[in-house]
Amino acid sequence: MRTFPEPAEVSREVRPAPPRYRNEIGKYGIHRSSRCVDCGRCVETCRYGVHVRPEGYLHVMRPYDYRCIGPDCKDTGICCIEACPRGALKLSANPVSETMGDHRWTPDLLLSTWAMAETGRPPGTHLESEVGASGGGFDRLRFRFPDSPPAGLRREDISTRLPLNRRGDSRPRITIDVPWYGGGMSFGSTNIRALLGKARVAKAFNGFTCTGEGGYPERFIPYRDHVITQVATGLFGVREETIQRAPIVEFKYAQGAKPGLGGHLLGDKNTPSVAAMRETVAGVSLFSPFPFHSVYSVEDHKKHLDWIAHVNPRALLSAKVSTPGDVDMVAVGVYYAGGHILHLDGSYGGTGAAPNVAKKNIAMPIEYAIGRVHRFLEAEGIRDRITVIASGGIRTPADAAKAIALGADGCVIGTAELVALGCIRCTACESGRGCARGIATTDDALLELIDVEWCTQRLVNLYAAWRHALVELLYRLGLDSVSALRGRTDLLTHLDYDDEA
Amino acid sequence: MKREGAGIREIDAGRVRALLRSRAHLAPTAMDGLVPGRAGMPTGLLSRPPEAEGGCGVTGFACTIPVGGKHIYEPSIQMRNRGNGKGGGIAACGLVPEDLGVSRRVLEEDYILQVALLDPGARGEVEAAFIEPYFDIDHGGLIPTVDDFRDVPLLDVRPPDVARYFVRLKPSVLSRFAEEKKLGAAGLSEREVEDEFVFQNSIALNNRYYASLGDKRAFVLSHARNLIILKIVGFAEAAVQYYRMPDTRAHVWIAHQRFPTKGRVWHPGGAHPFIGMNEALVHNGDFANYHSVSEYLAARDIYPQFLTDTEVSVLLFDLWNRVYRYPMEYIIEALAPTTELDFDRLPAEKQRIYRQIQAAHIHASPDGPWFFIIARSLAETGEFQLMGITDTAMLRPQVFALQEGEVSIGLICSEKQAIDATLASLSGEDPRFTPVADLYWNARGGSHADGGAFLLTVSPADGHGWPSAGTGRDAHGNTVPADGHGWPSAGTGRDAHGNTVPAGGHGWPSAGTGRDAHGNTVPAEGPYRLRVANKFGKAVSTVPDQRHCDLSAPPVAPPRADEDTAAIERCAREGDSNGFFAHLMTRLPVMDFDALRWFVDRWADRTAAEAPAVGVEALTLCMDRRYPTGDKKRSSLLAILRGGLERIFERQPLCDGERTGTHVRVTWETRDRLRGPRPGETTLLIDARGFPPEGGECDAELAVKAYRAGWRRLVHYNTRGTRFHGVGLGPGTAALRIDCYDNPGDYLGSGMDGLEIRVHGNAQDQLCQISKRGKLVVYGDVGQTFLYGAKGGEAYVLGNAAGRPMINAVGSPRVVINGTALDFLAESFMAGSPHDGGGFAVVNGLQYDLHGRLLPLELPYPGGNLLSLASGGAIYIRDPHRTLVDEQLNGGAYRPLSAADWRLILPYLEENERLFGIRIDRDLLTVDGSLRPPQAVYRKVVPRKDAEAESEMEGQGE
Repeated sequence: MRTFPEPAEVSREVRPAPPRYRNEIGKYGIHRSSRCVDCGRCVETCRYGVHVRPEGYLHVMRPYDYRCIGPDCKDTGICCIEACPRGALKLSANPVSETMGDHRWTPDLLLSTWAMAETGRPPGTHLESEVGASGGGFDRLRFRFPDSPPAGLRREDISTRLPLNRRGDSRPRITIDVPWYGGGMSFGSTNIRALLGKARVAKAFNGFTCTGEGGYPERFIPYRDHVITQVATGLFGVREETIQRAPIVEFKYAQGAKPGLGGHLLGDKNTPSVAAMRETVAGVSLFSPFPFHSVYSVEDHKKHLDWIAHVNPRALLSAKVSTPGDVDMVAVGVYYAGGHILHLDGSYGGTGAAPNVAKKNIAMPIEYAIGRVHRFLEAEGIRDRITVIASGGIRTPADAAKAIALGADGCVIGTAELVALGCIRCTACESGRGCARGIATTDDALLELIDVEWCTQRLVNLYAAWRHALVELLYRLGLDSVSALRGRTDLLTHLDYDDEA
Repeated sequence: MKREGAGIREIDAGRVRALLRSRAHLAPTAMDGLVPGRAGMPTGLLSRPPEAEGGCGVTGFACTIPVGGKHIYEPSIQMRNRGNGKGGGIAACGLVPEDLGVSRRVLEEDYILQVALLDPGARGEVEAAFIEPYFDIDHGGLIPTVDDFRDVPLLDVRPPDVARYFVRLKPSVLSRFAEEKKLGAAGLSEREVEDEFVFQNSIALNNRYYASLGDKRAFVLSHARNLIILKIVGFAEAAVQYYRMPDTRAHVWIAHQRFPTKGRVWHPGGAHPFIGMNEALVHNGDFANYHSVSEYLAARDIYPQFLTDTEVSVLLFDLWNRVYRYPMEYIIEALAPTTELDFDRLPAEKQRIYRQIQAAHIHASPDGPWFFIIARSLAETGEFQLMGITDTAMLRPQVFALQEGEVSIGLICSEKQAIDATLASLSGEDPRFTPVADLYWNARGGSHADGGAFLLTVSPADGHGWPSAGTGRDAHGNTVPADGHGWPSAGTGRDAHGNTVPAGGHGWPSAGTGRDAHGNTVPAEGPYRLRVANKFGKAVSTVPDQRHCDLSAPPVAPPRADEDTAAIERCAREGDSNGFFAHLMTRLPVMDFDALRWFVDRWADRTAAEAPAVGVEALTLCMDRRYPTGDKKRSSLLAILRGGLERIFERQPLCDGERTGTHVRVTWETRDRLRGPRPGETTLLIDARGFPPEGGECDAELAVKAYRAGWRRLVHYNTRGTRFHGVGLGPGTAALRIDCYDNPGDYLGSGMDGLEIRVHGNAQDQLCQISKRGKLVVYGDVGQTFLYGAKGGEAYVLGNAAGRPMINAVGSPRVVINGTALDFLAESFMAGSPHDGGGFAVVNGLQYDLHGRLLPLELPYPGGNLLSLASGGAIYIRDPHRTLVDEQLNGGAYRPLSAADWRLILPYLEENERLFGIRIDRDLLTVDGSLRPPQAVYRKVVPRKDAEAESEMEGQGE
């Protein structure tokens, strides 16, 4: 077997993973004027690492102001501005941060995700790290916490494990350690190093990542037990061996960000290595059709699943569908066709490569779809025989918990992982070779902007921080497992209807 | 049949208005007033069918003799995997009076009102409210069932009791209704008024006891003349069993396996078929525009009650048929509009009419994948009809088949294997049927050629221009009694009303058939004729002077048998399968069927023990090749050759025994004792009988095990739609060869990476998806989405590919299709340049006619969207008369064939010649009798950007 540059073993241990840039974007700016005399009071005062004077140096370095928590530390005795005897420090809002993101992925959500990815700990309270500013969806949902959690509940006893095979058939009973896993991103759309980071964090957390539709890179093989092979409508790079090697095979019927549209990889992004992986010709634009040309009905769908089940008799079958008006029927159809996982992909997700007009206008919002499917499956008496995974705009652990409380078993995350790797949501992913952060690219030079170890650690930290937040939330709700949260809509409130609740 | 050919201007607006107005009270809101305390149907229900379902399995056949329900049983079982056991149903049309315990007059004149009693206690109420006040009941009662539904396999929900009434409307009710509703004044005949009353009465009954209730108590299954529907929660064949219909005979049968996505189903209201007036419809697919269709119907005071898109389909059909009185062609046009290039190819007058039809009814045209099979009782003419209609985009699978002879049968199914299962079942009981159809074909949806629809009409032989010999009249005005085994020598009778009385007995009059001097059966004039025509009325038929073989007669040695014996001996000894084929070709014109059977049997006996490889190879060659068969039907010839193969197969040692040989056989019973090959053993024969069509126990799965155990030549035979042959074997299978006989199913060869698969006959859908390397040879047609997403490999197809072959293929797949493709050939093809290792398709546009002659098709490629939206690859089409036009392209361009192109495709055409005997000089490059250079025969289609680049290169060269 070939050897690979990175070690196959991955630790779940949190280690600092600082940003790749000297001057990372933060919410605040700290300006040090020429009045500074390098007395070092600021270095002694600040607990957040904004001010650094390396051992043996005289000068205090230029502030790492992205770490600054802003005016919150005023009057606490740890404020550098107050501490400076010369009045040389000035705090201001960083106008750059305000230019990032959008109402769904607000600057605060981006910054808090970066903070979690760097430290593996909860982001500071100076950031709104739970909700965005979309004015709807998860942003208007809140948990109702009891006044105090039940006595005797210990955080370390809270289970976040999620079983994926509930059919009780002969296929493996796979259980993952946290109730989310990484979504499909194709080789071709995304830097292989980022993809490897995703695969490695999947291994570390006993979870999964997914190939997307661009084929199965050989470098994934050491993580094969944690890689889902996706069979999408273009069937690019799908081979029997990649199906046979996967513990889970995912059928991508549709994507919530663009139902009714297939993927489209522009010719520029189809580099020789991408073309080889997809068994195509470099430079040729590649489109995935919508839908599967061999599947126009539920019995075709069953046949389609039977096909993969025949090729790999041990794989679990997952069907990724968007959320049309009859999503409940689709859900039941997935179950009766033999699916183990129903993956509902709502409309809030999608990287920059999904057209805006589609992202904003087509699919049903995921929070509606989850509840509808959950109740319908319950009425059918099959809710406990299929795993429902929600995706499409799961940005935070709070979003994940809300999706579960609405009736999902777990979540798939996509954009959040890319943000952890430094994505600034400029939403120009499709241009491919131009990703400023070296993430959504196959350009040889841009690939160098990140490395696998760093990606891995950032994601390990993110997962650790998410798990921590989820456990904390379950603790406050008085629940001893994430499965106990499923369908507990009574624990949620919607700000728009707060009075009615 | 004066309506045939009627123009739109002949529509009687007064009639339409009167009929539609007469239904105003049927609106659910209006019904509120009629039935106190009843909530109207919430309008929200119009938004989508709550009984959502996707596709299903549909099957049907129409036959010149009535045959028992057990024959719809086999094809239904074959298509179980297209349903989920939560809904199945059958319809039978053209029944036999004594099977139903009524007289022929009653059968033909009365309406057969069948009510499903979900609540058995509802019967009295239903009769009192909806039957006794209006109808004279000639016969009525609960239909028989088996005692305990649990005795029927796979039946989990007790089917409803069904009350059947043979009724006529009371004359007083009829005249009152005609007057009140002003139907008589609108020019409707009494029978038409009576039809309308029956129709409306059923709607009202359903509203009272089904549609408007929380607890559903009863609904009308059917109310047609000489047509009945039964449906259950379960598989379709269980309906035949439960209602004890295996021996109930009918000319036309249809069945439906449903796949409702709603799991908890306790009654069969949503199952198919659905009744219109005198037609039953089954449907595979679903609509995207249920709402729009429902609104269209609501505007005409028609409201769905069972809330499935199948129901609205039959309501549309009935509306256009009985209210608007459209000829069938226009109904089909309204359902599946002709568009794009096909529209342009219609005659101007048709375009004018079709444009009006589309303008008027496009909102009701079902949008989405669908395929309908409709059984109709044309009670006024005594005809029975079966029709299949596919949507314009051909998104559901469909196969038509025809067998003509002493008895004739036309079949329509979702999968070819179901057709063959029907024929196997029939031929097992009656030697006048042959297990192979004479003709199999696909419809091209919404096309100018066939309109995507075929009508199979069973007509009484007399009164329609058919020879009247052998028919007569029954002076008693009653059924001519069957004498147990045949029909009185009169053949058919006519009752007092002048209606034809068709055959009733099991057998056939001995006087009518006979054997000629050579011992072959000769056809007799039967009382019924089958005619098949497409949407435009163009007939489909087989060669009239060819005959079937009676396989039940003993084989007879021919004169000069010693010559044949010597040839057999020599070919067997020398392993000369080509010699065997050559000998057969010289002897075929002079041999009769019985001699041929003797010859094939001798060959099988001679080779079975000592040289099975050459035995199989020779017979296979004779089956695979096309050649003139003279007065013999090719279907019979195939049955004989296939019988010879079976004779060889069944003598090969089983895998669990001591005996060994080059060929070893494994069966369902011995599958657990499958082992690797012993020294000298080369070939594993897998007898697919008994294996399920998919899943861990299917024969394709066994093949994977066999391959892993070391077998490198596998033969699947007696396949009946087993899926996934050649799938799951993993990468690097170049050493493996698989041969499939009979009916291998969908997905064959998908993912293949090196192996060679030969399909000896027609193949089904989704072949060679994502195939990477290897070779596929199909000695027949292939179905939908052939080579979808393929990366490479070679494929040779003797016949046609259905819709969307090579769609989304990339890399280097190379294909020769000797027939054509229906539509969307190589859409989104993303292969590399063919001259740089990339993929291409060669389309020869040829077909063998029923005489075995190779002829060019009228158009080498009739469809649109040729190489549409492709970014790479090429298509080479044999088009010597330059029939392809720019309108068939979408992003592609035509280019002349270059010398380099010819060098590229020549080796593939040479292999094509070796495989199929289609010669490059004689068959491909000869046009109208003279040999032409390749560039005058073939044209190339490439993506436009490649064409531009090519032009530039040429410009630079000059």
